[in-house]
Amino acid sequence: MQFIFLRSFILLLFITPLIAHTQTRDTLKKDTVNTKQLKEVVVTGTRTPKSLQQVPIPITRITSEEIKKKGLVRLNEVLSEQTGMTILDDPHGQGIQIQGFDPAYTMILIDGLPLIGRSTGILELSRITTNNIDRIEIVKGPTSSLYGSEAMAGVVNIITSDPAKGASAGLTTRYGTNKTADLSLNSAYRNDKFYISGFANRYSSGGYTLQPSSGLPTVSPFEGYTLNAKSSYKIDAQTTIKLSVRYYTNDQDSKYLVDNRYAAGTGTEKDFNIAPVITHHFSDKLFSTLQLYRSTYKTNSDVRYTDDQSIYDQTYFNQTFNRAELQNDYSLRDNLKLTAGAGGQYESVEATRYEKLQSFTSGYGYFQADWLPVKKLDIIAGGRYDVHSVYKSQFSPKLAVSYALSSKFTLLGSAGKGYKAPDFRQLYLNFTNAEVGYSVFGYEEAAAGIARLQQQGQIESILIDPSTLQRLNAESSTAFNFGYRYKPNSKLYWTANLFRNNITNLIETAAIAIKTNGQSVFSYFNLNKVYTQGIETDLSYQLFKPLQIGGGFQYLEAYDQDVLNQIEAGKVFTKDPVTNLTKEIRRSDYGGLLGRSKYTYNIRINYLDEKTGINASVRAIYRGRYGYKDADGNGIVNRSDEYTKGYVLVNASLSKPFLKDAFRVQLTSQNLLNYKDSQVILNLPGRLIYAGVTYNFNKTN
Amino acid sequence: MNKLTTLSLAFGSAFILLASSCSKNNDVVAPETSKLTTKTVADLDGSTTTIYYSLSTGTQITGADTASTKWDIKFKGTSLFINGGTSGTGTTQAQIVSSTFETLTAAPTADYKTDANGTPAISGWYTYTNTTEPQHAILTVPGKIIVIKTSDGKYAKVEMISYYKGNPNTTTAEFANLATRPASRYYTFRFAYQGDGTTNFK
Repeated sequence: MQFIFLRSFILLLFITPLIAHTQTRDTLKKDTVNTKQLKEVVVTGTRTPKSLQQVPIPITRITSEEIKKKGLVRLNEVLSEQTGMTILDDPHGQGIQIQGFDPAYTMILIDGLPLIGRSTGILELSRITTNNIDRIEIVKGPTSSLYGSEAMAGVVNIITSDPAKGASAGLTTRYGTNKTADLSLNSAYRNDKFYISGFANRYSSGGYTLQPSSGLPTVSPFEGYTLNAKSSYKIDAQTTIKLSVRYYTNDQDSKYLVDNRYAAGTGTEKDFNIAPVITHHFSDKLFSTLQLYRSTYKTNSDVRYTDDQSIYDQTYFNQTFNRAELQNDYSLRDNLKLTAGAGGQYESVEATRYEKLQSFTSGYGYFQADWLPVKKLDIIAGGRYDVHSVYKSQFSPKLAVSYALSSKFTLLGSAGKGYKAPDFRQLYLNFTNAEVGYSVFGYEEAAAGIARLQQQGQIESILIDPSTLQRLNAESSTAFNFGYRYKPNSKLYWTANLFRNNITNLIETAAIAIKTNGQSVFSYFNLNKVYTQGIETDLSYQLFKPLQIGGGFQYLEAYDQDVLNQIEAGKVFTKDPVTNLTKEIRRSDYGGLLGRSKYTYNIRINYLDEKTGINASVRAIYRGRYGYKDADGNGIVNRSDEYTKGYVLVNASLSKPFLKDAFRVQLTSQNLLNYKDSQVILNLPGRLIYAGVTYNFNKTN
Repeated sequence: MNKLTTLSLAFGSAFILLASSCSKNNDVVAPETSKLTTKTVADLDGSTTTIYYSLSTGTQITGADTASTKWDIKFKGTSLFINGGTSGTGTTQAQIVSSTFETLTAAPTADYKTDANGTPAISGWYTYTNTTEPQHAILTVPGKIIVIKTSDGKYAKVEMISYYKGNPNTTTAEFANLATRPASRYYTFRFAYQGDGTTNFK
């Protein structure tokens, strides 16, 4: 099936441009600053289109124009420059930290539908190209009341672009450091009733190493493809059907040194999504959407010793996600809109590290009322109830209010609950590390796993009897957000938000038994209680016509409540690095959770010369020091050698249009100051320079 | 050691004088009889041999005496043993208490263990860093105060300070570099030994 899909796809890509021969302006030019932000509509915060200024929860909207001006092509590049967002360096991939939450707590959506395929909770953001999008919407704070599990820190929704009328096509390329190449082709046709669009992207890199003497890559060479097709047909004035299909595949080499032997191989990743939708206006007041969605995610890796080709590691991982959902939007009165939806999901996973195919079934219903009792006041109340085959049912309510003090100044506040269900790993993992010898069992596997090891005589002592294990519950949070949006004129836009998240039942591993080899057997428990709080603010200002400046800042605190209690009780200690004598830790010594920078900020400058169309953009992104390890053996971050240094990344881009904007040449640099920390920060390869060309054409009949 | 005793006695009496002079209620306070000795031992060289150590005399025990009850604690690589159970002929017991050295003012009265096969009374006093920086290092864990009840029923508290010669700062680049890291199995520790048979560490 995939082959047919591919063939028709290529056909689509190459035929449509032939119809087109007149040129159109590059999308960049559309972004004349004065008309910008007048009618900005967002959909992610309420699952209905709503004006950005009015929506009562923290939401950021990044347009395709902004992304193109900066010369960025992958989602990780885009999000890393956003205020209040930090890309984490992790061996399992580049994920996003929002309001102090780990990447596992932010849902990644494409056109409102969740992406699956997370390695230990992290969804690799460079999997997602931003060349075919209209905008990205980011909601901060729990959004489980609409999206269910995972949307505890927030939601990143990538909204792909709908084609312009007529026939259009385009080509975007970028090539540079580390042989990193990004190539996109798109073409589309649209008339009043129908559109079809195709998009293909190739993203590859030669990888890099931060330890050249080791002969091993830090990031191995890879080659990935994204294919995306969308089509829509208006059956009549009331009814529209839509289909979108997305396919992503990536091959990455790998090379390791294991006990003085080299092992090398290839890993393949495949992600396939298909989403048919039908929408129908039953009346002026009632609008319904029936959506089906299937997503599969597969990985496969085969790593062998290079000397005798014997197997070092062979793994596979197959995950599926299926959903049917019906949403009804009903305008009861002009000032009261109701949204109600219900859906069912079936998910499964089959992998090397699982005993057998494991599956979840779940159902949910959600409801939302959007009420404007007076014009200035917008109240949104809603909730979602999730019923699940394996863990306890969840209710996630939310209340959000915005009040326009004036047409320029809006106050917003919200309170809500978020949750994250135990994932397949935490429930079903059955894994023994071949080199070190420890074992990890998911909650559902623990009893059987221990029994099996006991039978094999591998258990020295049981620490916690598996039959007494508490059923694993979802992690949950209660969150409060309070802030404002200030837009006195078309030149200035200023937002601020205070946030607090109280998180309970965090799932952690703990030892349940000791093996005869001295290693532990681990399982998962609802253990920790943590909180995050802080303030975030962002401002952009059109200083004079060609020059726009902006900046953002976040102050963040993220602490483990149990550690705080222990410090209070005088039970946490450190060693003085000079004398190596034990000292008691005070509250002010505690650096909080790993990987959280207290201070982050960014500064942005964009210069657009109207006459020549030359656009220059420079951004500086500062990430304050953060704890990355425990060196003194007390399990927490407190001593200065347990922190990284703070650092600044400077990214810049210069572009010039030709041939009435149809053709654009761009020079881009990331990490211009060449900042590196080869010991700790592995996702910073140093200075990257890219050159790119974009060509667009469009013919309106 | 006599100096230390005198010093601690002097400090003790000074404190009592001060305390009683401030107190309105001039009760007669029993004279201080504590026989607490405190000592820091630097760079006990265990690089070639196993070290047997007596806390009551503050000296290393060698020769035939290593088979007697004269020693209290034994250092062998990263393993610490006490003179009892599977490790010696004595009846020494120990436990680990979470505290700073100074704030542990009395030994616990219960929950002591002696050495058994595979489960020594003293464990968890160090961490091995493996591949995290500084790599392959033995670092003493903060807040692990070893309380020992010796074969003749006396109490002592011990804090392990360093596993490396010269008690180096383990956060430096020099220590992280395996080529310039000082030699291991040189034990630095401090202890307080209460000779009067009470649990008092004041």
